[in-house]
Amino acid sequence: MLEPFIMPLSVSIKTVLAATVITFFLGIAAARWMVDYKGRFSSLIDVLFLLPIVLPPTVIGFGLLLLFGSRGPLGKLLALFDTTIIFSWPATVVTAVIVAFPLMYMTARGGFEQVDPNLENAARTLGAGEWRLFWTVTLPLSWPTVMAATVLAFTRALGEFGATLMLAGNLPGRTTTLPVAIYFRLQAGQMHEALVLTLVVFIFALASLALLAYWKAQARRNGRGQ
Amino acid sequence: MLEVNIKRALPGFTLDISLTVNEEIVSILGPSGSGKTMTLFCIAGLVRPDAGLIKLNNRIIYSSADQIFIAPRNRKIGFVFQNYALFPHLTVAENIAYGLARQPKPTVSKKVAELLEVINIPALKDRYPAELSSGQQQRVALARAIAPEPEALLLDEPFSALDTYRKERMEYELLSLYRYYRGDILFVTHDLEQGFKLGKQIAVYDNGKIVQYADKYTVISNPVNRTAARLSGFKNLIEGRVVACSVDEATVFIPEFEQTLMVNFPKSLKLNTDQPVIIGIRPEHLTAVSQPKHNSVGCRLDRKVRGVTTLHSYYYALADQQNRYSLECLDPQTFLDHQDHLQDTCYIHFNPQHLVIIPLD
Repeated sequence: MLEPFIMPLSVSIKTVLAATVITFFLGIAAARWMVDYKGRFSSLIDVLFLLPIVLPPTVIGFGLLLLFGSRGPLGKLLALFDTTIIFSWPATVVTAVIVAFPLMYMTARGGFEQVDPNLENAARTLGAGEWRLFWTVTLPLSWPTVMAATVLAFTRALGEFGATLMLAGNLPGRTTTLPVAIYFRLQAGQMHEALVLTLVVFIFALASLALLAYWKAQARRNGRGQ
Repeated sequence: MLEVNIKRALPGFTLDISLTVNEEIVSILGPSGSGKTMTLFCIAGLVRPDAGLIKLNNRIIYSSADQIFIAPRNRKIGFVFQNYALFPHLTVAENIAYGLARQPKPTVSKKVAELLEVINIPALKDRYPAELSSGQQQRVALARAIAPEPEALLLDEPFSALDTYRKERMEYELLSLYRYYRGDILFVTHDLEQGFKLGKQIAVYDNGKIVQYADKYTVISNPVNRTAARLSGFKNLIEGRVVACSVDEATVFIPEFEQTLMVNFPKSLKLNTDQPVIIGIRPEHLTAVSQPKHNSVGCRLDRKVRGVTTLHSYYYALADQQNRYSLECLDPQTFLDHQDHLQDTCYIHFNPQHLVIIPLD
């Protein structure tokens, strides 16, 4: 009886967890790299990274279809391995990562840039290489911000609907995430089921925001400590 | 031995300096924005100079000609930042140990314990920087910088955030630490007294150039130009023209005073008749007397206090009718002597021995 609810919930949890982990590392790597990158294309790359925030999800979905379609460059590449991601579970992860990445990147970068450059300079004069100084100084000092960024990315991944629907479709138990399930329940006139799913998403979102508030308070406390 | 010879374009001026530090403390003295801190950043490798050569104990750490740029982590140069830059998320012991990462654990803990003793705060090893007073933070920053036994130590205005009492304590402690750490020390300050107290040599900076680099006694007794004179405490700088001179004594006409002053100068200095010069004199060497006397100028006293030391005050004496030209003098009586001994009209006596003469080109 609970299966109609558990299925989209479990798809969403798997998708969001996978997407958050990938976004976490991608976003941190991109942010760390961009803080130092002073090249000619730095603003162009920055714009590209942030683009998914301003683009309508349908545009992102359509773009991904072009990329991953049988004639798209990535689609052709995957075809070499005899596989495709369209209308499969990985597609839900790909779209979630794309929409969550800008939030992770932007917030983490802000956190890294707020670290006193002289703390990093001090680490350098004490013999630390860039790698060690990132793990022992920059990251610990921007940790609350990075955690807040992760929560933002997590909630954005959870809420993704349009692009997911276009790239992953609506295959119950495989690609039907919570937002997609809500939409189709409503379409089918199943108001009660839609309402229950909505409540589940609501609780999720609320818990994430509570976590975010907690990390923010943590960040403020750390800020005062310095 | 640290040999520095660098150029670096900065907004508004170009840093272009060369100096050598030979196992001693050298004070870099200069006004804010004269390139002092930038010099230290270039030496540490935190900023890349445009051109030049930096050698530390005959090891080239930067050379534009040979395209050598050793990364800061491999330069073996300790740095104490103006705001200390202690890692706020690490304890005192962890801060001091940060530069010892490549050494085995027992060596590290032994070294940290030893340094905590040297800086006299062994009980605070598990505290975080935010829980320390600024004087204690300062000491941790020093200990952290010398822990990896750098070949040179750079200090960027390390005492500017301390109050006077703590500052003097820390100056004393830096000197005692110097017995523990033997290497080249470059010390940046804008405070003459501090630069004098701590340094053996003083490099006077102005607008990205070294205007004078000499033994500290030479710097304070024979400044080479207006900036060096002002920085070394000659608050009164008077322009004039030589009207007559012998080997060590000159008569200088001062247009502002409409009279001449006698000045003694070292024999090494070459002066010509008609040469424009600046005469410098410290407030401590100007005394007001009630009767005219040899080498004195009539003045009216301006009783506004210009500044105070612990017991003395500085005041202005107006040396011309338009009240334009004011001399800064030290009141030889202390605040503890309550009598007002000064009259409104008086004579300011210039001791020829205490005047310094700087030729203008």
